[in-house]
Amino acid sequence: MNDDYLWDKTGQPDPQIQQLEEILGTLRYQPRPLALPQKRNYFPLLAIAASILLALLAGGIWLRIRSRNEAPPQQVRVEQPAPKPIEAPKPATTGSASNPPILARNRIHKPRSASSVLPKQEREEALMAKEQLMLALRVTTEKLHLVHTRTQPNQIKNQHRVG
Amino acid sequence: MKTLLIAIFLIFAPVFPAHAQQDSRIQMSGLDHLAAKASQTVDVNIDERLMRLASRVFDDKDEDEREVKKLIANLKGIYVKSFEFETEGQYTAADIEPIRTQLRGPGWTRLVNVTSKKEGMLEVYLLFNGDVVRGLAVLHTDDKELTVVNIVGPVDVDKLARLEGQLGIPDLGIGSQKNKKNDDEK
Repeated sequence: MNDDYLWDKTGQPDPQIQQLEEILGTLRYQPRPLALPQKRNYFPLLAIAASILLALLAGGIWLRIRSRNEAPPQQVRVEQPAPKPIEAPKPATTGSASNPPILARNRIHKPRSASSVLPKQEREEALMAKEQLMLALRVTTEKLHLVHTRTQPNQIKNQHRVG
Repeated sequence: MKTLLIAIFLIFAPVFPAHAQQDSRIQMSGLDHLAAKASQTVDVNIDERLMRLASRVFDDKDEDEREVKKLIANLKGIYVKSFEFETEGQYTAADIEPIRTQLRGPGWTRLVNVTSKKEGMLEVYLLFNGDVVRGLAVLHTDDKELTVVNIVGPVDVDKLARLEGQLGIPDLGIGSQKNKKNDDEK
C-alpha cells in the first residue's frame, strides 16, 4: 500500500479510504456566494401604527373640544362656617331625662339654583348669552309670525270681524 | 407612503360623512360686509356651550322662562343675522346665494315660501334626518331688510309655538289644537 494517496492523492487508493471519502464527501465544503438575510420591510407596519396613533390623537382632540363645548361641571363652593364664639356651658336642667339634648336637627334646605353657584364672570357671560338667546328667539318667532299671518290672511280677517 | 395614505383614509373615512350629516349649521359669515351698509344689525351667535351656560341662569320659578329652557334643552345653537337698511338695493341676490346654496343641500326641505311685492320673500326650511327635525332656517328678504335665522338641533315646533306671546315674543297663533281646547275650557 502506498501512503502517497493519503498525502497527495497519488498512487493506489485503499478501497476503504475511497469508501470513507464517498461517505464524507457529501459534507465537503462547497463554495457558494454569501447569502445575507433579506432586510425586512417594516414600512407598512409603521404606517399602520402611525395611522392608529393619528386617529387616537384626533379622537382625543375631538373629545376634548366636545367636552369643552358642553356645559362645564357645576362648581360647588364649600364655605367654611364662621367660628362661633365659645359659650359658657349651661347648667343641666332637671328635665333632661324627658327632653334629651338635640344632637342633630333635620332642616329643610331650600334648593340652591344653579345660577347662584356660578362664578361672577361666568354668570355675567351666562346673562349676556341669555339676553342674546332671547333676542334670537324673538327674531325667530317674529318671522314665523309673519309667515303665519301671510299664509292665513283670511283666517285673520275673520278673527278681526269676530273681535 | 401609499399604504400610509390608504390606512389614514380607511381610519378617517367613516368619521367625515357622519360629522357632515349631523351639521345643520349654515355659514353666514359671507353677509358680514352688509353690516357697514345697514342702519340696524342684529348678529346673534349662540353655540352649544353658550346655550348650556344661558340655560343655567333661567329662573325655574318663572313659567315662561321654564318653557324657554325646555325649548333650548336639546338645541346645539341659534344663529341670527338681520340687517335693516335705510334705502333699497343695499344687497344683491349674489349676497344671499351662498345661503341658498346651503339650503338646497341634502336634507333641507323648504316648508314655506311666501312672496309679496310689498313685504318681500319669506322662506322657512327644515332639515330632516329621517323623520326627525335637525335644524330650522328662516330667510326673509325684503327691499330694505335681510334676515337669516338658523337653529341647529332638534327643533320642537310645538314648544316654539308655546312661546307665543311670552317674554315679548309675539303670538304666533300656531299652537296645537289641544292647547287651544284647554284654554277654551278654562
